[in-house]
Amino acid sequence: MKINLVTKSVAAVATAGVMSSVMASGVTQSNDQWFKDGQATLQQKLNAPRINGMAKNVILFVGDGNGVTSNTAIRMYKGQKEGGSGEEYVLSYEQFPHLALAKTYNTNAQTPDSAGTATAFLTGVKTKAGMLSVASNVDRGDCQAGMKNEVTTILELAEQAGKSTGVVSTARITHATPAAAYAHSADRNYEDDSKLSAEQKAAGCIDIASQAVDSNVDVLFGGGRRHFIPKTMKDGEGKSGKRTDGRNLTKEWTKKYQNASYIWNQAGFDKLNTEKTGPVLGLFNSSHMEYEADRAKDKGGEPSLAEMTGKAIDILDNNKKGYFLLVEGGRIDHAHHAGNAARALEDGSAFADAVQAAMEKTYQEDTLIIVTADHSHTLTMQGYAKRGNPILGLSVGVDGKGHPKTTPNLDDDGKPFTTLSYINGPGAVKGEREDLTNVDTTDIDYIQQALFPKSSESHAGEDVAIYARGPKAWLMDGSVEQNYIFNVMGYASGLVK
Amino acid sequence: MRIVLLLLWLGMSSVSMAADKLHFRDLYGRGGEFSEMAKQKQGQTIRVRGYMAPPIKAQAAFFVLTKMPMSYCPFCESEADWPADIMLVKTDDIIDVVPYNQPIYVTGQLEIGTQVDEETGFLSRVRLVHAEFETAK
Repeated sequence: MKINLVTKSVAAVATAGVMSSVMASGVTQSNDQWFKDGQATLQQKLNAPRINGMAKNVILFVGDGNGVTSNTAIRMYKGQKEGGSGEEYVLSYEQFPHLALAKTYNTNAQTPDSAGTATAFLTGVKTKAGMLSVASNVDRGDCQAGMKNEVTTILELAEQAGKSTGVVSTARITHATPAAAYAHSADRNYEDDSKLSAEQKAAGCIDIASQAVDSNVDVLFGGGRRHFIPKTMKDGEGKSGKRTDGRNLTKEWTKKYQNASYIWNQAGFDKLNTEKTGPVLGLFNSSHMEYEADRAKDKGGEPSLAEMTGKAIDILDNNKKGYFLLVEGGRIDHAHHAGNAARALEDGSAFADAVQAAMEKTYQEDTLIIVTADHSHTLTMQGYAKRGNPILGLSVGVDGKGHPKTTPNLDDDGKPFTTLSYINGPGAVKGEREDLTNVDTTDIDYIQQALFPKSSESHAGEDVAIYARGPKAWLMDGSVEQNYIFNVMGYASGLVK
Repeated sequence: MRIVLLLLWLGMSSVSMAADKLHFRDLYGRGGEFSEMAKQKQGQTIRVRGYMAPPIKAQAAFFVLTKMPMSYCPFCESEADWPADIMLVKTDDIIDVVPYNQPIYVTGQLEIGTQVDEETGFLSRVRLVHAEFETAK
């Protein structure tokens, strides 16, 4: 059977080779640049070797809420910012050779939340919406049942194997996606002890921030200081904590681990000695870190996602056994929830830059990089705009001859519309929608129009893309369940036997 | 009467249109500090696009202007994450409330600096006074 498979694949490659030479010589368009580019891509893929060694390192990137439409819009936004028409631009991870589509549903939800999806790709099992790395038989909020039904995460397996581990996010480090890597909780909202009842505390339930400090993770970079300090204390930027148990977990962190450090601003981040430091807890905001568009105005200064990713790799790479690193672009999701596409695209661009930073610091031969989203949003891209039309702008199309127009396309009410809009969200108004003729829809604060009103735009349930490069990346193929990402990471790294 | 109203409306519109258009972000520098532009524009009439937060009380002559639509009142929940960049809008007349997600244009005289409102006890850092607003159509 094995021999047959090999024979078949060799035959397939040979056939493809013959077909490509026939196509190149036998068509009238053989000198057309599109055709030539297509031929070059074909040859590149035919010649691409499968990397079959073991993945010493695994890096999982999650663009929170970065569905396929969001990703396409980010591609255009970044391409246009760099002076191109946008459509042809290639984001860093779009260069990866292997791709699959993930089904994102939770065990009890057609359209998922980030806790259930993070549990899927970090533990290999789907669970209910709102729960972090506990099995689906637990009721949400039943923390005692949660403690008895924890499921092992890829990060914990890496620690057990003597590898270094890291979690980086622009959201609070206690937020759903990052927390699912190091914590187990029957409810994603148990970010600090104030969210647990006296009864839950008496039963031994532990809040997420406390679990972070006990997690043995080597690098934690993100926001969420308020969950680590008492409500009676103010942080470096003058914001109060949330904890009611009086604990200062940032101090506990530095006492608990050898040569450990706690940093909270850009200056502290810049001073980190990546060769000598012990475990690092970096909490750069009281709540979520700033949107990329607003980062320059942060009081204490915040590193970019690319800077955090690069520095995390520099620290983790000191371990000869390798590492597991989770990086989340957490605020793409938040901007979509706000109906504010401009900030989502700006954070998406920063996410692509972070993947680029990881690509430059690693080798394909020993590092598996997977890039995905946890779920989608209701963002839609529509309306027959001409090539190169600003992705945040009003839709301007082409005339009858196919030449670009200069005036916007109009809907049946005679009003212009934007290329990007949401199905639901705060951008839906009662009565007639606003005439956008004199509105700058490319403004960073602009809220896209939506069909039906919701104070917070919602997630969407269609599949999301998975991009992969490195050892065993070719296993990312076809239409798969989201939890399969864990199986590939475990197999490629040897962490799951 | 209709002519008088029309003239009044035209007069108001010309004031609104003549006012400098400012964005929320123009008023703030790093860490929520006031920008140079905010200091320069103090006392001048400006025009800002934003959203009316759900009013704190009925029959009021003030409201909170937010950069993004907010379905709850930023002043009403002590535990809420208050955005740094909100403005208190004081009008000369009782306001007609509009939905929180209806874009509006507010024209008023810019005041900056921390102030506690005597009547309500609310603290504000930026105010638009003698303001009027219109919905974006």
